[in-house]
Amino acid sequence: MKEYKKSIYINLAALFILMLLAFFALFIGSTTINPGDIVTYLFNSSKVDASTAIIIGEIRLPRIILAFIVGAGLAVAGSVFQAIIRNPMVDPYIIGISAGAGTGVMLALFLGIEIAVFNLSSLPAFAFLGAVMTVFVVYQLAKVGNKLPVLTFLLAGVAVSFILNSLMSFLMVLRTENLQQLVYWLMGSLAGTGWSDIKMILPYFLVALAVVIFYLKDLNILLLGEESAAHLGLNVERTKIILLGAASLITASVVSVSGSIGFIGLVVPHIARMSIGPDHRKLIPLAAVFGGCFLIIADTVARTIMAPMELPVGIITALAGGPYFIYLLRNKSKNIW
Amino acid sequence: MKIMLKTDNIKFSYTQEKILKGIDIEIKKGAFIGIIGPNASGKSTLLKNISKTLKADSGTVYLDHKLLNKYNSSELAKKMAVVPQNTEINFNFNVYDIIMMGRHPYQKRWSRLSQKDKKIVKEVMELTDTLKLKNKLINELSGGEKQRVIIARALAQKPDILLLDEPTSSLDINYQGEIYDLLNHLNQEYNLTIITVSHDLNLTAQYCEELLLLKEGRIYASGSAEEVLTEKNIKAVYNAEVLIKTNPLSEKPFVSLVPEVNRNKNRKRKKRNFKIHVIAGGGTAKNWLYKLENMGYQLSIGVLNIGDADWQAAKELELEIVEAPPFIDISKKEIKENKKLIKNSNLIILSDLPFGHGNLANLEILLDFPKKEKLLFSTLSIKKRDYITGKAELIWNKILEQQRNITLLKEKDNLIKKIKKLEKADMER
Repeated sequence: MKEYKKSIYINLAALFILMLLAFFALFIGSTTINPGDIVTYLFNSSKVDASTAIIIGEIRLPRIILAFIVGAGLAVAGSVFQAIIRNPMVDPYIIGISAGAGTGVMLALFLGIEIAVFNLSSLPAFAFLGAVMTVFVVYQLAKVGNKLPVLTFLLAGVAVSFILNSLMSFLMVLRTENLQQLVYWLMGSLAGTGWSDIKMILPYFLVALAVVIFYLKDLNILLLGEESAAHLGLNVERTKIILLGAASLITASVVSVSGSIGFIGLVVPHIARMSIGPDHRKLIPLAAVFGGCFLIIADTVARTIMAPMELPVGIITALAGGPYFIYLLRNKSKNIW
Repeated sequence: MKIMLKTDNIKFSYTQEKILKGIDIEIKKGAFIGIIGPNASGKSTLLKNISKTLKADSGTVYLDHKLLNKYNSSELAKKMAVVPQNTEINFNFNVYDIIMMGRHPYQKRWSRLSQKDKKIVKEVMELTDTLKLKNKLINELSGGEKQRVIIARALAQKPDILLLDEPTSSLDINYQGEIYDLLNHLNQEYNLTIITVSHDLNLTAQYCEELLLLKEGRIYASGSAEEVLTEKNIKAVYNAEVLIKTNPLSEKPFVSLVPEVNRNKNRKRKKRNFKIHVIAGGGTAKNWLYKLENMGYQLSIGVLNIGDADWQAAKELELEIVEAPPFIDISKKEIKENKKLIKNSNLIILSDLPFGHGNLANLEILLDFPKKEKLLFSTLSIKKRDYITGKAELIWNKILEQQRNITLLKEKDNLIKKIKKLEKADMER
């Protein structure tokens, strides 16, 4: 019971921090907005003047929400991948899914394919296609007999990432218009995003998230190892494929709007695991909130530190996450779970 | 008796290499089976085939009269629990959570823990003595504790049959016993059917009712430990020279490896033309008997009580023995036989055995051979070895006074040196 209370406190604290961050992120920016205006806006948007209302409502608020979705999504996908691969050094970026999703989006952009089906944009669909194809290729490359050794999986992911990244570079060389925007996209950036992006990815994101939530307990069982999990009555192959698919879909939907933002999927699950333990029923929600907070901070820094210029947020996350990754490698390589 | 598990001619291969070449086994409910065999004999593979981790190429497995393939994963988990070889868990769940995962096949998604789950988990924790570890993290535990937790998790599945792959391979000897004692208890008290795969012939022999010895993917021998663990079988399957003794407490066979340097039985050494008669008992000679035999001396020994440690050693070495039933005095007939052996020998060795009523004749006999060379152990004074109020001491002193050709051995390490010296003197004569 004590532990149960502890996890509630941690979650409440995380949510509180999230609210606070979101609030701060609203008034920090190239134009500083009076916090009073924000409060007024939140209660009644017609009472503040039009330009402030647009900055808050059309620029900052959707961007903060999107930052949260992207950060949370990457953290959740990272946690899922780490559990399935049973290796704490895995994130969607490392095993090439982001690059795959990115290549999918790039191809779609360059070939000029953008067909809206049922009012849903097809961009995330292409990102998803790219991501799933990457997972499939990496999985097939890494498979030895019936097993999926972690090391070959990682190496195959890295190799496929390299290939896809060079493919993206090649596409960029071919068509140099919009280059800066594309470079930003590749580095990971939320610049210029709005409500439409949220609308675009939310259906995919929510469906995939629901699947992950449905399988939370199975993730714990999977952590025991595939053989043990099977002996405990889990249909391992099916669960693995469903969860890999869901995590890929989350990654894909996120990447399709933000580009490849690295390290969140790696680092945030660790921080969450350290605070609340490895039980995914507690871990995943907390990782989502932490991931969201982390990206809100990083994105706020990215758009303010050199204002009015914007840095790609991927630079900030990598700057913060890289050293932590090294710290993990050096200090806690024995017991990182 | 009800049949719990039955396999019918199962064959399995990894790509080209055939691992199992047709295995038929029938395991009764409540049995405690040990599968043994050398590396790559297919024992772990067999276990994986009967636990549905691997699918046999041909042949069938029946679990409780139903085809194994007809079980879905959670049905199977309720019937059969497995403790795999590699139980390394590199993340920090606490012990209670790990054991509760054993209830997974019974739980619905998102349901709260039922009272029944909690009760069963508490029961298995008591049974495996893991209750006190409840809130500890799995990585804080010792190897033995960890293995008990894994077994507790398996028991939480409430299985009818428990399979264990090398359950003690990474444990110290005290934990090994602990784990097997636990398995034995589960088998006896709860009629749990248990199958273990192990490298450890002796642990398997001590605890399992029935052994299956595998060789190159086939069953080479099966039956009780006594039937399966014979020097011949081990030689044929492992190509190893072993001695099979009997554990005096459990009366189960006990296998010990014979290092190459000590192989005496199977390698005919050049026999020396020097006969030694040994008078010993109570295990005072067994250590150096092997050595002397190995050096090629022709040994005889007597009078020994049947069942005595020296008697066992002499039997193993197939020496000429004069033996007497235990707990009664040595009879005239045996003394006569012993004299015959002594007459034929070049040297008598008397170990530092203790003397009582029963074996005083073994000391007195020396008085009858004043001319024979004698090597008497005096590492322990005769006073300490005399359990018949000075009688043995009296005879001892008489021998020392009356006879000349006596060598006293004060340090055991010098035994071989002294014998060689006496042998040389004998040859010169």
